[in-house]
Amino acid sequence: MFNASNASFRDPSGFLFEHKGKLYRQINQSYKSDYDLLINSGLYKILVDKGQLIPHEEVKVKPNIPNVAYKVIEPTLVPFISYPYEWSFNQLKNAALQTLNIQRRAMKYGLSLKDASAYNVQFVDGKPLLIDTLSFEIYEEGKPWVAYRQFCQHFLAPLALMSKIDIRLSQLLRIYIDGIPLDLTSELLPKNTHLNLKLKMHIHMHASAQKKYANLSVQKPENNPYLSQKSFEVLIESLRSTIKSLSWKPIGTEWADYYNETNYSDNAFAKKREVVKNMINKVKPKLIWDIGANTGFFSKVAIEEGSRVISYDIDPCAVDKNYLECKASKEKNILPLLLDLTNPSPALGWANSERMSFIQRGPADMVLALALVHHLAISNNVPLSRLAEFFKKCSNWLIIEFVPKEDSQVQRLLTTRKDIFDHYNKKDFESAFSTNFDIRESISIPGTKRTLYLMEAH
Amino acid sequence: METSLFMHSLKPLAYLDPGTGSFLIQTLIAILASSIVVIGIYWRKVKNWFKKISGKEPGYVEADLENDDDV
Repeated sequence: MFNASNASFRDPSGFLFEHKGKLYRQINQSYKSDYDLLINSGLYKILVDKGQLIPHEEVKVKPNIPNVAYKVIEPTLVPFISYPYEWSFNQLKNAALQTLNIQRRAMKYGLSLKDASAYNVQFVDGKPLLIDTLSFEIYEEGKPWVAYRQFCQHFLAPLALMSKIDIRLSQLLRIYIDGIPLDLTSELLPKNTHLNLKLKMHIHMHASAQKKYANLSVQKPENNPYLSQKSFEVLIESLRSTIKSLSWKPIGTEWADYYNETNYSDNAFAKKREVVKNMINKVKPKLIWDIGANTGFFSKVAIEEGSRVISYDIDPCAVDKNYLECKASKEKNILPLLLDLTNPSPALGWANSERMSFIQRGPADMVLALALVHHLAISNNVPLSRLAEFFKKCSNWLIIEFVPKEDSQVQRLLTTRKDIFDHYNKKDFESAFSTNFDIRESISIPGTKRTLYLMEAH
Repeated sequence: METSLFMHSLKPLAYLDPGTGSFLIQTLIAILASSIVVIGIYWRKVKNWFKKISGKEPGYVEADLENDDDV
C-alpha cells in the first residue's frame, strides 16, 4: 500500500489518510459548500460517467481529524501510480488537454479547478484521469484563474521545451517539483517563439509579469484585476489551442526502428514469442513490468495471457509510439512509461516522500527482461550478481533473455571498448542468478545464440 | 465604492499561490487572445473565399467549443 498521505497535506480542503489498510479522503468543513455543489450540480456524475474524474463512495469511517471534518470518502484505487517525468510527450499533452476538458465543463456547472497540477492526473485504463476530487471550487465571476500559473508550469512549459528544443527536457520535471519555472522556460525557448503568439502570451509575457509583480500581494484587492467569465473562457480556449498546437513526431531516436534491425530471423522471433507466451501462461501473473519494452511487442503478448503490463523503455520515441498505438486500439491494460534502469525515478518531494521511487511502486508479479541484460552488463558495467539482486527486489518471477558475447548485438557494444567482461558468459550468468532465483526453465532460441529463462526468486 | 474593474476576492485565502503576475496577466491575455480569435476568423474567411474561387475545398473548421478533446 503506497503512502499517499505523504503527498496529500497542502490543501486545507481535505487530505488522504489510511485506516486499516484502506485509503480514504477526509473532506473538511471549510470545503463543504464546494463539495456539495460538485455533487448536487451534477458535475461529479457527468465527469465520472465520461471517465474524467475518479469515482468515490461516501463512507461512515471515522475522520482522521474529526473536529474539522465534514465527510469521509473512499476514492477508487489507482492500480499503478506514475509521474509526469515518466510520461512521453503525448501522454503529457493528453493529460493537459484532459485537465482543460474538465475545467471547461466545470465552468458550465458553476465550478472551477483551483489547481492544475500534473500530479492530480493519473493514467487509468489507458486514459488520463483527475484523481483529486477536492480540486474543484465554486466559481466566482471576476476572479482570475488561480491555477493558471500551475497549469503553465506543469503542462505548457515542459511540452513547449520538449517540442521546440529537445524531448529529453521533460526530465526537468524531476528537478522542479511544482512544474518548470516560466522564467527558465522563457530563457531556454528559441527566440523565434517570441513570434509565436500563443507561446509569447502564455510563457514569455507570463514570465515577465511574474518577475515584474513578484513583490505585490495577491491578497490586496487592487492587485486582483476583474476577469469576466467570458474572458476566462477565452483564456482557457487559448490555452487549449496552445497545447494542441505543440507537437512532437516520434521518429529518429536510436531505438525507433529497433524491431527492423534486430538479430532475429522471422522464424526465430516467432519462436521467441511463443516461448515467452508459454512462460507467462505458466505463471499467470496479474501485473508485469516489461523492462526495455521498446514499442511494447512483448507487452502485447503478455496482455493476451490476461496480465496488466507496465511497459518501460529508456527511449521517449519508443514510449510515445507504444502509447499512441495503445490509444488507437483503446488498450486498457498497458501503461507505457519512461525508465532508465541505470537511473530509475528516485523518491522526490517533501521529506523524499511525496513521489515514490521506481522500486517503491513494486513489487510486480513478474518482470520481463528481454534483450536487456547485455545493455546493463556490458554498456553499463553492472555485474550480473547485482542485476540478479535488483530483479529479485522487483518481482518474484522473472523471464530473462541471456545474450552472449557471440551475438552480433553484443559485438557491436564491444567495438568501442575493451572487453573486460571475463565473467559475462552463460555459465556465470546462470551461477550469478541462481544465488537469488531458481531456474524453472531454460530454452535456447533456435537460429540465435540466445537463451530464455523462467526464474522464480528463492 | 469600488468600480467594477477591480473586485474583492470573496475567498481571500487561496491555498495555492497563484503569483500576482499570473493573476494580472490573465486579463491582458484574454484581450489579446480574443483579438487573435477575431482576426483569425476573418483571415480564414478570406482564405476560404480564395479557395472557393479557385475551386478548392474550404479548409476552415470551427474550434469545437462544445465537445471534449479526445485524450
